[in-house]
Amino acid sequence: MSAGTIAAAPSRAVSAKHVGIAGVALAAIAWFITLPPFLVRTPVPSVILGLAAMLAGALALQAGETRLGWVDLVLGTLAIAGAFASSKSGVGHLKTVFVWSALVAAMLRYATPLLFAALGGIICERSGVINIGLEGMMLMGCYFGIFGADVLGSWVLGLVVAAVAGGLLALVHAVFSIHLRANQVVSGTGINFLALGITGYFFTAHYGPNGTPTKISTVPNVKLPLIQHVGFFGQAIGDANLMTWLGLALVPALALFLFRTRWGLRLRAVGEKPRAADTVGLPVLRIRYLAVIASGMFAALGGAYLSVAFVGSFTPNMTEGKGFIALAAVIFGRWRPGLALVATLLFGFSEAMADRLPTFSGTLATLFQALPYVLTLVAVAGLIGASRPPAASGIPYVKE
Amino acid sequence: MSSGIPDRDIIEEGGAEPGEEEALEASLTSPARLTAYLRRGGVTVPILTTLIAFLVAGIVVLLTGHDPLSTYSAIFKGTGLNWLFPWVSGAERTTAALELQQTLIQTTALILVGLAVAFAFRAGLFNIGGQGQYTMGAIVAVWVGSSLSGLPAFIHIVLAIALAALAGAAWAGIAGILKAVAGVHEVISTIMLNWVAIWLGVYLFQLGGPLQDPSQSSVPVSKTVAASAKLPVFWGPAALQGLDIGIFIALACVVVFAIIINRTRLGYEIRAVGFNPDAASYAGMNVRRNYVRVMLICGAFAGVAAAMDILGWKFSLFTNDIQLSQIGFLGIAVALLGRNTAGGVVAAALLFGALLTGTSQRNLDPTVFDPNLAQYLTFMIQGLVVLLVSTDVIALRVLRGGRGIAVGLRRPRGPKPTSTEESAT
Amino acid sequence: MTSSPVPGSSGAPALELKGITKRFGSVVANDRVDFDVRAGEVHALLGENGAGKSTLMSVLYGLYKPTEGEIFVDGRQVEVDSPATAIKLGIGMVHQHFMLVPVMTVAENIVLGQEPKRAGGMLDFAGARARVRELSDRYGLAVNPDAVIEDVTVGAQQRVEILRALYRGARILVLDEPSAVLTAQEVTELMGVIQRLKEDGAAIVFISHKLHEVLEVADRITVLRRGKRVDTVPREGATERSLAQLVVGRDVLLAVDKPASKKLGDTLLEVQELHVRDDRELPAVDGLSLSVRAGEIVALAGVEGNGQQELVEAITGLRIPESGTITVGERQIAGAGVRAATEAGIAHIAEDRHRRGLVLPFTLTENIALREYRRPLFSARGWLRLRRMRDRAGRLLREFDVRGGGPEAFAAALSGGNQQKVCVAREIASDPKVLIAHQPTRGLDVGAIEFVHRRLVEERDKGRAVLLVSLEYEEVRALADRILVIYEGQIAGEFGPDVTEETLGIAMTGGQASPDAAVTA
Repeated sequence: MSAGTIAAAPSRAVSAKHVGIAGVALAAIAWFITLPPFLVRTPVPSVILGLAAMLAGALALQAGETRLGWVDLVLGTLAIAGAFASSKSGVGHLKTVFVWSALVAAMLRYATPLLFAALGGIICERSGVINIGLEGMMLMGCYFGIFGADVLGSWVLGLVVAAVAGGLLALVHAVFSIHLRANQVVSGTGINFLALGITGYFFTAHYGPNGTPTKISTVPNVKLPLIQHVGFFGQAIGDANLMTWLGLALVPALALFLFRTRWGLRLRAVGEKPRAADTVGLPVLRIRYLAVIASGMFAALGGAYLSVAFVGSFTPNMTEGKGFIALAAVIFGRWRPGLALVATLLFGFSEAMADRLPTFSGTLATLFQALPYVLTLVAVAGLIGASRPPAASGIPYVKE
Repeated sequence: MSSGIPDRDIIEEGGAEPGEEEALEASLTSPARLTAYLRRGGVTVPILTTLIAFLVAGIVVLLTGHDPLSTYSAIFKGTGLNWLFPWVSGAERTTAALELQQTLIQTTALILVGLAVAFAFRAGLFNIGGQGQYTMGAIVAVWVGSSLSGLPAFIHIVLAIALAALAGAAWAGIAGILKAVAGVHEVISTIMLNWVAIWLGVYLFQLGGPLQDPSQSSVPVSKTVAASAKLPVFWGPAALQGLDIGIFIALACVVVFAIIINRTRLGYEIRAVGFNPDAASYAGMNVRRNYVRVMLICGAFAGVAAAMDILGWKFSLFTNDIQLSQIGFLGIAVALLGRNTAGGVVAAALLFGALLTGTSQRNLDPTVFDPNLAQYLTFMIQGLVVLLVSTDVIALRVLRGGRGIAVGLRRPRGPKPTSTEESAT
Repeated sequence: MTSSPVPGSSGAPALELKGITKRFGSVVANDRVDFDVRAGEVHALLGENGAGKSTLMSVLYGLYKPTEGEIFVDGRQVEVDSPATAIKLGIGMVHQHFMLVPVMTVAENIVLGQEPKRAGGMLDFAGARARVRELSDRYGLAVNPDAVIEDVTVGAQQRVEILRALYRGARILVLDEPSAVLTAQEVTELMGVIQRLKEDGAAIVFISHKLHEVLEVADRITVLRRGKRVDTVPREGATERSLAQLVVGRDVLLAVDKPASKKLGDTLLEVQELHVRDDRELPAVDGLSLSVRAGEIVALAGVEGNGQQELVEAITGLRIPESGTITVGERQIAGAGVRAATEAGIAHIAEDRHRRGLVLPFTLTENIALREYRRPLFSARGWLRLRRMRDRAGRLLREFDVRGGGPEAFAAALSGGNQQKVCVAREIASDPKVLIAHQPTRGLDVGAIEFVHRRLVEERDKGRAVLLVSLEYEEVRALADRILVIYEGQIAGEFGPDVTEETLGIAMTGGQASPDAAVTA
């Protein structure tokens, strides 16, 4: 039985879960057909599809798949509303906003920093240390990345400097939360303040009111020779930044590391039950130190992407809460690299939309910025499946 | 046959097993033991913490080619605290008074956000959402304060404060309900709610936003609070932003906080739930409802904090302000440095209020130290203070029997093992 | 596994501890303890908890550093500074609280730290599974390598712990209170496993406080008391009484002197057809009925996990039952909550005083008010009556002879026995109709146990109905006027206080329970 084949009617061979997933797909199609390139100008087919999605939801609900059932009902409603909205708006507007290739490209741009930081967060939390300080670690990478690229004249060295700076700040978090057994949430909050202070201070002291110089070595884009000029793909991924590709490559790498290698097994054991890991001779504290430092380096690379690859300059507090979105992606992605990628893409997409929606309404677009947080709230409330963090997360380990 | 020899291991008198406290100390690392000892010393730790933070920041100042002593003395002068010295007189005294008023204005809101965090701590909750609750309070305060301009002053002020408190409470209440109903950890929910509130505020007051001031169409700012909703200034000239009565409202809230915690059934329940939810439900308390009640009260404190700022001296709300404000997070620093006690919160709020004022563009002498730099120096000191007090929270954890503040979205299934394994016992 | 000399033969012992002393600050947990175990021998370490058994084994396993003393393995002096070293020396530990990662599989848990690997640092899952199968076949330790730990029974988890030690090549195996968490059936199986390991030449240290088990399995028995080694005796010639004397240091009354119940009054607690589900929504109490009359102690005996917890929680209002009635006097309290139960006259000495019975960072005054703080006695219109709270606490602390601090002392500062006295005092002082005592002597020393037992009998004689939930045969027999056996959420039998342990044991394990019932994987 494959989840890919969508069964129209539920039978005994099809589980309630599959019906629920089919509902999600129906709702998506219902809205999608009213957008470019299909541009169905009447909401009728969408209403039918939307109702079908809601029917699937009701069936799923009846079969005990409550969460997906409710998701279907909500999505079905939203799809019908969306279809009405888009059939009422001008084709020109729709064509300006929903340029899918450009949206995908923008989504990847916005998702990249989140992805790096979220992967870092996963490593850290999988080892049993909560990392509220992702924001601060990103900010460190953000400033010291561009500082390194400027002073040393090369973006490669800039990224190295960023990673070292992020790792150092993470080391502070590690010392406090592992060795001094600080409250990890408090320590993370302190880290964020500290990073804001350090980066702002050194930026002001070093660059002053003029800011970073304009000609700084930045991370290049990768022009894919074969598909660069091939319509949709060319525009969507033909000219993406090197770091985007790096981030995407890190997802399977980290998944492999966590779930298929001995070190991944040990890392997870330390995060789930450190005493058990200790009694089989694993160095719990050392593993946690390494994990926290690695997370700082990842987060800093995410931050460095913002300054060294995306914008090419630095402004104080440049991350503006991206570290918290990354934290949300960690939770939304249930501490798994693959799902976290999905989460960061979703969040990246909502930022991309926020960029483009002003065509319709300059103000409403702002609310899209809040979408990642709302979605995460919905997710942790258990509406999209139960989340389960590493059991020892947040609890300092005391060796006897 | 079972022998009836006990399963667990506490011997009454002269036993060979270490007492709980001694076993604890034996298991602590030496720096943590130092902290544990210091906590018994009461105010010693906070003072030491602060000194270390200033020392480290001073080293940074020194390394970047400035003189830390003259920098700190300029900052101190900027706080206006020298007004308290009887030998300061004349023009210097007048300036000092003005500056002290600014310090106390900052202190007002900090006390209240500190209470918002401290109250949650006493109930075993981690309110990291002071920022969002403050923002919601500010939105409502500025909205009520700038509309309804026909009202008599007293009623207008009370209404604006009450509705701001309500807004903060409602926002915090979401986190409380999510925890009570779905077991969502409040650290996660309040962080998310912070950003939702911030973007909501930006949406409302941005250019073309529904509540943006139509008379300044190119500035993303709210309408200005009407005269009838402004808090009366009782010390210093109102035109130069003298001290308003907000400080008294904040101090009254401190008294309310202390009375609730120590003298009332509600406070007793809150503390019991905070220390041990299982024992609280054994005592017939409704633990889940308590989470909601506590968050409501916390949010109300934060909402009042915002009302004091808006009605006291800001009078309008810029989107920039909403995005850059760190006051909710400062509340965490205030609460922790003040050990979640009423008096401690006041003292810590005064410290941070003074620091903010002393390093501000308005008050710091730019010939001694660049205020732009000083602003970040403040963040650094705040970060160091929070980091240093974070280790000290260990004492709290030990008292709670080893329950860490774990970000757990799932409540543990089944009974816990009798010995708390990752605890310090 | 080395082939081994027979027990008692000469040659260096597999393990020898000489003069081990461990101090925590001013407290001496182990005082010059000598201990040794030979290959192919089971050497039991017996003593009250707190006697220093676990400390000694933690020293052996590298978790604590001894203050003084030497450790020899196969006659060579060694320094065990970490569990990793202990493992290298062939020492394996089966912990009392299992050291397993709940969300990982059996195989992952067993190989953790010494994983078989393939090229590139990848884990060799197939190899791990094969090794686990091989070991489990060899010693008859049935486990499914792919099962997730949190889904298997406690007995299976213990088998995983043993397998893990064997996987690491342990020749010296320390079993720390291995039977504490097992059903009778599982204990029997464990004894078989220990026998096979012994025949295979392993040196086994068996830690327990249960005399009969020690007598059943051990070749030699060392008794610790207050950190000191009292004596080492061979099993031959040892009796429960002689061992008990060594453990406690004086003659113990294995049977408590108790006058028969004077007169029975009305039925005060009546439970009918009660159904309660546990945290996982599985039926835990399954149509149970019982009643307790004024002036009697009814003991509910049973193996842990047969619904006692859920039953007590339902009666005391902590858990909402699915169906059925609970009547106290005239009042219906099923599902009405803790407050209603308390007001109807239920008092509850909680099973775990740290988790439930006390708020440790509260003062004794605050703890004593815990269950009645809403009554006018302690509060009015939302305000606490602090002075009254303090007076009441002072009086109760004197009456119950609580030592270690006055009304303003923190509960955390008291010893376990005194903490339990506070709980007992609070519950009795509420003048209840029904007193639920759930394992009221758990973790107490003999003196405190006697105190609690005496008070329970006294309260019975005052005309209260007492429901005692206990896992200890001795306690049940000593106190009960009637004994009800609970098995899988139902009453499996009713007995008088003179019932033999054998009869009771059969009833508690469900009569002719099928032997496969406990094997899971």
